[in-house]
Amino acid sequence: MKSRFLQLFERYPDAMVIVDRAGQIHQANGRAEALFGYGHDKLRGESVQTLFPGQSVTLSGSPGPGDVAGHAGQHLDLVGSSSDLRQFPADVNVIPIQTERGTASVMSIRDITEAQRAQFVLDLGLNFEQAAGRDRQDLLDHLIRAQEEERGRIAADIHDDTIQMLAAANLRIQQLRNALSAPDEHDILDRLQRTLSVAMSHLRQLIFNLKPPNLEHGGVATALAGLLDDMKSDVGVSYQVDDRCTARLGHAAKVIIYRSASEALANVRKHARARNVHVKFLAAAGGCLVRVVDDGVGYNPAEVEQRPGHAGLTLIRERAEIAGGWSRIESAPGSGTTVEFWIPNHGLPGQSKARRDRVA
Amino acid sequence: MRQIFGPQTEHVLAFLADLWLLSPEQMTTVTAAWKQASELERAEAWAELRRIASGEDWDQILAAASVARRQAMDAAYLLHQVEWEFWAAAWDAAAAVAAQERIGSGYYVLARPLMTVMPSLSETHADARVPAQRERARAAEKRGERR
Repeated sequence: MKSRFLQLFERYPDAMVIVDRAGQIHQANGRAEALFGYGHDKLRGESVQTLFPGQSVTLSGSPGPGDVAGHAGQHLDLVGSSSDLRQFPADVNVIPIQTERGTASVMSIRDITEAQRAQFVLDLGLNFEQAAGRDRQDLLDHLIRAQEEERGRIAADIHDDTIQMLAAANLRIQQLRNALSAPDEHDILDRLQRTLSVAMSHLRQLIFNLKPPNLEHGGVATALAGLLDDMKSDVGVSYQVDDRCTARLGHAAKVIIYRSASEALANVRKHARARNVHVKFLAAAGGCLVRVVDDGVGYNPAEVEQRPGHAGLTLIRERAEIAGGWSRIESAPGSGTTVEFWIPNHGLPGQSKARRDRVA
Repeated sequence: MRQIFGPQTEHVLAFLADLWLLSPEQMTTVTAAWKQASELERAEAWAELRRIASGEDWDQILAAASVARRQAMDAAYLLHQVEWEFWAAAWDAAAAVAAQERIGSGYYVLARPLMTVMPSLSETHADARVPAQRERARAAEKRGERR
């Protein structure tokens, strides 16, 4: 039995020493001698303080019958010191045993320098990744805010400048009309006034589109309802909205979804010749999946995607990419068009769920 | 080529080659399978793909998906098949092939519509199993069980 114990002791993969109650080392296995830089049998008789200088190494008393805690030993985090004074973090387990000479302790010692270094690098990496994700989200928020402010400024300029000038031109035409008497000249003025009126109406629509949407109350679906109503009254496209996105979206995500869905609807209005459009919002994977499906004439992607001038669809793709999401735009002649995109609430591409959970 | 499609280039190329071999009936089968599949599951698989893929990985996955979509579109038009769900299925499956085991069960969600006519897609993924799973599969094969 004793020889088996000694064999196990000697072959154990960790460094092990047997220490008496006074803290004197009775035996050390090869691993312990190698770890602390001592020759064969040179540790025998040394104090355990030689291995862990200046640290309190509490050695358990005799394990009594049923003393589970005593048998299970105790775990210590110490700093080991080798014969060449190199120091290293050590994970130490102290297990009390009964010997012929009384109670002793078996100490198994593991150098955890590499494990600590790996943990440090991992923590550093995770912190960096977390910070990079946060920076990216801040940047995206900033970008969206700046874009919306710029749109608001352009809308204000059009309202305060261009539309006022067109209104003034309209008044001048009115004055000119009073000065002219020939019917053909009045016809020309009528046409001119109609053109001005159409231009003003287009500019007002542009202002409406440029203005930042009110997304705080009612969410994206409510904000889009105005566009859909206009489309119905202007070009007769009926619509259904199916809002099942229960995800709590941040402002940036809402703006991206609103702008991309508006872009998709603008394409329906301009090109699709559709009778109906179905807009669906679904909660998916911590974000929102949006599908805009029309029953219009569709297009041949093999031809159309080669041609320039599809800024709207490209914008939908790019917005989704920037936000850490994805998009799909599909069509075929006679099959309508489906625009589908997913926007995460907080875009942190490159991080797996497990990693984010660890960071959290 | 490996820089374009990433570490699964061989599988991506094999998949692209196989797309040309599909018959009109098989394309119809794929289209129907894609239409029947859950849009939510598909969205979640793509979201997972987006999460696990860093910049370069994502570009490689999109490159594979884009080439497959275009190839599927050309193959479909040649055979007078014009349902876009077919090339959407090719887009999904190519992304799954390029990402392989990194998206876990998402692979099957994205590749399933094409798996119905392209059994090699399930074998491709089986190659990506961990060694222990591979050993078990081989042992099962030896015993005459289906993998």
